Amino acid sequence: MRREAGVVVALGRRALSVQFRRAQLLMPTFVLPLMLLAVIASGTSAAQDLRGFPDVGSYLAFVVPGTLIQGALLAGLTSGIAFAGDIEFGFFDRLLAAPVRRSSLILGRQAGTIGLSLLQSVFFLGVAALAGAHFEGSPLALLAAVGLAAITAVGLGGVASAIAIRTGSLSLLQSIFPFMFVLLFTAPAFFPRDLLAPALHDVAAYNPLTYVVEAVRGLLTGDASAGGAGAGLAAAVGMAVAATALATFALRERLRTL
Amino acid sequence: MSAVALALWRRSLNEVLRVRGALLPATVAPVVFMLGISGQFGELTGLRGFPTDSYLSWIVPLSCLQGAGFAGAATGSNLARDIEQGWFDRLLVAPVPRPLLLVGPILGGITRSLVPATVVLVVGLAIGAELPGGVPGLIALYVACIGFCAIAGLWGVFMALMFRTQQAGPLMQQGVFLAVFLSTAYTPEVLLRGWLADVAEYNPVTYVLQLARQATVEGIEPSWAHTWPGLLALAGMGAALLALALWALRRLGR
Amino acid sequence: MSVPSPSSPAVEVSGLVREFKGGIRAVDGLDLAVAAGEIYGFLGPNGAGKTTCVRILTTLLRPTAGVARVAGHDVVAEADAVRRAIGVALQEAAIDPLMSGRELLRMQGALHGLRGAAARERAGELLERVGLTQAGDRRVGGYSGGMRRRLDLALALVHRPRVLFLDEPTTGLDPTSRGALWREVRSLNDEGTTVFLTTQYLEEAEQLADRVGIIASGRLVAEGAPDVLKARVGEPTLHVELADPASADRARTALAHLGSVQAPDPAAPTKVELRTAGGKAAIAPVIRALDEHGVVVESVEVESPTLDDVFAAVTGSHLEGAGAAP
Repeated sequence: MRREAGVVVALGRRALSVQFRRAQLLMPTFVLPLMLLAVIASGTSAAQDLRGFPDVGSYLAFVVPGTLIQGALLAGLTSGIAFAGDIEFGFFDRLLAAPVRRSSLILGRQAGTIGLSLLQSVFFLGVAALAGAHFEGSPLALLAAVGLAAITAVGLGGVASAIAIRTGSLSLLQSIFPFMFVLLFTAPAFFPRDLLAPALHDVAAYNPLTYVVEAVRGLLTGDASAGGAGAGLAAAVGMAVAATALATFALRERLRTL
Repeated sequence: MSAVALALWRRSLNEVLRVRGALLPATVAPVVFMLGISGQFGELTGLRGFPTDSYLSWIVPLSCLQGAGFAGAATGSNLARDIEQGWFDRLLVAPVPRPLLLVGPILGGITRSLVPATVVLVVGLAIGAELPGGVPGLIALYVACIGFCAIAGLWGVFMALMFRTQQAGPLMQQGVFLAVFLSTAYTPEVLLRGWLADVAEYNPVTYVLQLARQATVEGIEPSWAHTWPGLLALAGMGAALLALALWALRRLGR
Repeated sequence: MSVPSPSSPAVEVSGLVREFKGGIRAVDGLDLAVAAGEIYGFLGPNGAGKTTCVRILTTLLRPTAGVARVAGHDVVAEADAVRRAIGVALQEAAIDPLMSGRELLRMQGALHGLRGAAARERAGELLERVGLTQAGDRRVGGYSGGMRRRLDLALALVHRPRVLFLDEPTTGLDPTSRGALWREVRSLNDEGTTVFLTTQYLEEAEQLADRVGIIASGRLVAEGAPDVLKARVGEPTLHVELADPASADRARTALAHLGSVQAPDPAAPTKVELRTAGGKAAIAPVIRALDEHGVVVESVEVESPTLDDVFAAVTGSHLEGAGAAP
């Protein structure tokens, strides 16, 4: 048991360190979400004048949850892409040949995703704070928000990994990038749910990310009415468990047909 | 000598004609953004100062431009790949004036960009965007897209020639992204606050957006006043980036 | 191999220097001259500066100092004229996998001002010459390594260049393909094309080149016809394997007048080594001499100096290609 835990940590560490080996890889996962945040926060801040927009102390703090979730999406997708790369270039075969439990291979990848997401969230919140965002939530609440984002990343990473295992295609995963934003935009990522276009508003109720985003918003702004932490946690954990199971199942299927 | 440009243009189209589904990501992304952003921020048109009631109509030209811009950036990443894999050496060793080597690929990018721009427009119109600008507005929109694509292409080419590796790809895209979004992308100037208001005023793409928005935004009717700043912006950016690209080309091998 | 004609050199290099960032001198004062109509073999270990030198000669890189002229034109001042006169088959076999062989040939034609019917005809001609007519309309992505090299060569010939640069043309090819390419190179040379051949295979240099230039650390360390260079280094050695170690002394006495007998090696008591200028021709006299002295021979092998020995004699180290026998 302890040995498997060691394997998971080692794989996780590798998955994470590859991200930082080349500066260009950092751009999409760390810089892009911040650029979008900057543009949205400044470009749409007049929205506060809209009737129906909740009273928020800091507009920046209001939209940051969207950035955290975007980060989680990117962390998950990046994991999937790295996984597909390992499969396509043969490294995964080497892992399979090692006396390692199959589930550890998935968990190791997830561990790396968690690490990446944690770093991202702390970075985003730090930069936002420097830019003037006021987080009314307690330090514990902020930590909980970061944790929630990490769990979400695991969920999305699991789905991406499952796709990677099923297709083994790096280019396919890279082209999923825009579809990821569908998940983001059909949730109240940057705007209150009630002010979303009617079509989106309806779809949002079925999107687990909606509950996560609202929970994060509630935690960061210290305003529980923005979203219940419980609902968000349930959604995030549910996704994570389901996705990890999906990935593990996909792996078993792949190995069976090898 | 134009035979060379033609041959390279035809070759650059192979990317999309001979590779299945090559244009899919480049077309889907701007459509997704258009749907998502207009769905998220649609209510903004309730604010006073918005020249239209339809946020979708406001966003469609932005997404067209975004699609065209990324198609242009792809010209750069294709060139970076060609340089890395040695194909570009083949062109450099031929007795062809260096600038001519860029014409074909840029034309290829422009040709490719027409697909996402048109798809975005058609989808947008299908789900309710307005077309108050009529034919003149449409012409303005396409001029903006083609011009912006060429500029993004020159930027991509410049990056490719400077770094000579496909890893510069993200830089090309981020450049386009920044240019497009640090402007009146989401809201008109009157509603911008703080640093973005200043940046948008000096960002030439703001005026290109205005040129494009003559097609779908009621409050920006087709007129010379709305057109010349955009044309000037395109010409200015084009000249600057062309100079940089040619300089980088001359620098090759030194 | 044709005799070089007495006209201006096809390639002339004088004091060529190319420095890279960090002060690295890939080419450090190179002088060489290739006569028109020659096949010149450019040999050297990896990192010696071969590729850099070729890139300068083909106008892809500018020299830091020195002069290089190809087909009578300066590579910097008259780059376009050089490009018109040279054909280049690049090491990376830089071809577009999405295009067919024929399309690539026509594009290459367009790059050299060849159009329409003339381009189509030339494409067909070259496809036939390199044996790719069948595969000509298939996408290059599906070609084998050998086919790509042949296409690369055809592409270099579209505009009938006076000087052909071949950068490691047979690396990775099987012996049959290699032989076919050699035949093609000789045939081109017979037609008058000067060939500047970069290679890491000694046998390729020895078989094809009229003259060989050996480069190390950015400089030419030896130059001349392969046989002349090898003779300078030493004489061939005959290795005689005896049936009975006890006959070794008798064998040495028997062979003493045929050449220089090497000192015995305690670890190999049945071996006798004889250095003699005759080489292969000395085999018969050696066997006769040993027979007359009643020595029974197991085998006789001739070991000639190679270009690697030439390299080792000048630099003290070995060429990497020496071990990679084709």
